[in-house]
Amino acid sequence: MTPKKRALLCLTGNKWKADRVSAFDPLTTATVEQMEIVKAPFPDAHRSPKLMAKLAAAAWEIVGLEGFKVPFDLCVQAEALGAEIHYGALDIHPSVRKPAFKELEDFKIPEKILEKGRFPVVEGSVKILREKYGDYLPICRQVVGPFTIAGHVFGVEKFCAWIKRKDPEDLLDVLLQLADLNVEEARAALQMGADVICIADPTASSDILSPQTFKELLVPAYQRITSKVGAPVVLHICGNATSYLPYLPDTGIDAFSCDAQVDIAFAKQVLGNRVAVWGNVPTVKVLLQGTPEDVKRACIECICKGTDGLIPSCGIPPRTPIENFRMLPQVASCMVYV
Amino acid sequence: MESSKNKEEVFERLKQAIIEGDEVEAVKWAEEAVKRGIDAYEAISKGCLEGMNVVGDKYARREYFIPEVVLAAQAMNMAVEVLKPHVKMEKGPSGVVVIGTVQGDVHDIGKNIVKIMLEAAGFKVIDLGRDVPLKDFVETAKQQNADIIAMSALMTTTMPGMGKVVKMLEEDENLRRRVKVMIGGAPTSEEYARRIGADAWGKDAVAAVELAKKFMQEKHV
Ligand code: B12
Ligand SMILES: [Zn+2]
Repeated sequence: MTPKKRALLCLTGNKWKADRVSAFDPLTTATVEQMEIVKAPFPDAHRSPKLMAKLAAAAWEIVGLEGFKVPFDLCVQAEALGAEIHYGALDIHPSVRKPAFKELEDFKIPEKILEKGRFPVVEGSVKILREKYGDYLPICRQVVGPFTIAGHVFGVEKFCAWIKRKDPEDLLDVLLQLADLNVEEARAALQMGADVICIADPTASSDILSPQTFKELLVPAYQRITSKVGAPVVLHICGNATSYLPYLPDTGIDAFSCDAQVDIAFAKQVLGNRVAVWGNVPTVKVLLQGTPEDVKRACIECICKGTDGLIPSCGIPPRTPIENFRMLPQVASCMVYV
Repeated sequence: MESSKNKEEVFERLKQAIIEGDEVEAVKWAEEAVKRGIDAYEAISKGCLEGMNVVGDKYARREYFIPEVVLAAQAMNMAVEVLKPHVKMEKGPSGVVVIGTVQGDVHDIGKNIVKIMLEAAGFKVIDLGRDVPLKDFVETAKQQNADIIAMSALMTTTMPGMGKVVKMLEEDENLRRRVKVMIGGAPTSEEYARRIGADAWGKDAVAAVELAKKFMQEKHV
């Protein structure tokens, strides 16, 4: 079975039709050691299709993860919408320096947005990966989810205050426009050869929003994306998303990538065979700070709890040692179903 | 003289206004406190900060989420703006503090509370804001002849920045001798402060004021 076929089966809730769980990481895979080995360091790798493809490929070539994911940062959309970006450093991810809009009414998606900012870089890297690796390995194109983009372009606090102060219809309207942007970029990437779309919406965390807000503002936005994309969709939300679980089937996603605070066994129970659950080897306590032995133990625990894909709980911290990260594909490949 | 009942009522109203995130009410009761000649420092600590503590508890119990927390913080800031000019400056060891939330971290609600309390206690506070480039702490302390650097971090990922600032400070021995460093924020601890070479760790804004005063006394002995 090719890693691509295995990943697609595991993402769509057909784990038992695959030979084992997949170790295809649709979250950020880049670490400093990989950057040094393949000579594609941050922040340059955010801005050149060649370097982006090279660093994404390191996930397979060096770590052994079963596929690729681009881009590495969460600012592509906000940047194209006019926010000011700081590109970070070797071990610091890019971040938003200044929002793009002051008021909700100022919001506007520029024409031909896919030609702006770093969209061409990202799509270019997908093309390179597809040409180089053929159909053997899956490629994930990450789109930053509507709430996180809104936080970037207006300021998170401002947007949070609006949730209490403004007409929910107006907020939903903006979030749906951002969802349409996600659809547009996802389709462009699929045309270049991507196989899977991962919506990364870290700011939509249950540490920030109530389950009620999630249901009213975000479920419809994710629905918009999943109903139009035409490829398997994974959703990643940081933090303890347990209170969101009952709403996930309505979003139409294929798989949910959960953070370390979520109990996989419980999530599987709630979601049954409606949404696959991927996760959740703790990034900081285990992958960054633990030993390979600790990672191995955490991996086995995830598999025993029923994970559909063996991946980190969140984007990998840049200083994670490769020998730790490697344990994911290693453990996944010894745990063949019998 | 104000009767204590009168005072209690104003504190309670201020507190409620902040809990509800109602900035109009918060400003109204802050102005009322001024009008009635109530001690502004007391109004800040017993009205505003008490209110913010309740908000923190509600957040921890998942009764409140960030939208409510943000509105409460806004209401608090507005009320404090009204009260601040009326705070009677304490005599005694006041000094210059450079404060900020470290690079990569935008959490500044706690830092702002610390700043308010330090100012209320008579310190001159230079606020670098949030997501502050690490070298700015050292450079500002040098330029402004500061006595204290106060850093806040709310994320395990941004905490290490505080250690880097201490290292930078140590590159200039004279400066290091002159400037004390205190740190705070939920993921930090006494132990962590010691590990990175900071002079002290503060649990909350009240502790921050005590530490700052202690530093100044030590300096003047
Ligand atoms: C409010 C909040 C936000 C707001 C911040 C608004 C603002 N202007 O500050 C917003 C929505 C913007 C936000 C964004 C994010 N947040 Co946030 N946020 C919080 C939250 C809920 C509360 C923090 C707070 O204000 N507490 C109230 C104040 C009063 O307390 P305090 O800061 O601890 O300060 C007191 C003391 O510590 C002390 N003190 C503080 N500083 C200092 C300094 C000195 C010198 C001294 C002596 C004392 C002292 O005195 C203060 C007053 O008593 C925490 C959860 C939590 N329980 O802490 C998460 C939390 C900090 N956020 C978190 C995360 C991950 C994020 C995001 C990445 C998005 C996300 N997925 O949640 C972004 C990151 C943005 C960034 N790059 O920084 C995580 C951090 C995890 C980690 N890695 O450690 C937390 C812990 C939530 C969680 N469990 O996931 N967040
Ligand atoms: Zn995450």
